[in-house]
Amino acid sequence: MKACLGFDELLGAGQPQIGEMERLGALETKPDQPDAAAAFSRQVRILEGILVQNYGVAATLARKADDLQEVAEIWSRMGLFCQAALQSLARLKEKHPHGAAPELYDLALDYKLACDKRHRGVLEEIACQKTELPKGLFPEMK
Amino acid sequence: MSEDGTPEGLVSRDEIAQLAALFDRFEFAFDPRATATKEAESDFDNLVTKLFEERVRAEHPEVSFTTFYCRIKTHCRIYLRKNAP
Repeated sequence: MKACLGFDELLGAGQPQIGEMERLGALETKPDQPDAAAAFSRQVRILEGILVQNYGVAATLARKADDLQEVAEIWSRMGLFCQAALQSLARLKEKHPHGAAPELYDLALDYKLACDKRHRGVLEEIACQKTELPKGLFPEMK
Repeated sequence: MSEDGTPEGLVSRDEIAQLAALFDRFEFAFDPRATATKEAESDFDNLVTKLFEERVRAEHPEVSFTTFYCRIKTHCRIYLRKNAP
């Protein structure tokens, strides 16, 4: 199959779902929208799936990357996606404290912290490349 | 010297393989919140600390723990790429 998607495109494809969640979250409190609560709840679950899937893709790409700068870029972009979801969810969890939004907020926060930790870690690795180590510390890698 | 003739280091090839397996289980885990992920990271940190304290600190006092830890991680990445599935 020739069809493929880059990581940026994948993250971009998920962005409108954050906006859709906000839209449905605003409808939920309107009395003339009786199905809005269920639609909002479904949309929160859709975003949860996207977040988990995107994080898994980021982890897979980071494992395959042969350049530390690329690894840093992957975690930075995934962190920005988490941040966008968090900004939206921070508003929604106040408005809908008993729905699925607070739970997804906690998940997104943990994923964002995991991205940031990996991003910081790889930046440290890049900085450490400049330090010359004594010979014989590590085995030669064939 | 290993069986294939490439020189070993203070940290052996087998130890890099062991560390890489742990690194794989937390750094690239799909669920960063899972207990298994946290346990793998804790085991990795303990093993790196042990290697540093027992082999590196006395022989190479100029090498900081941070530098050693970072280089171990980089070696793990290389190992995993070369021994992918």
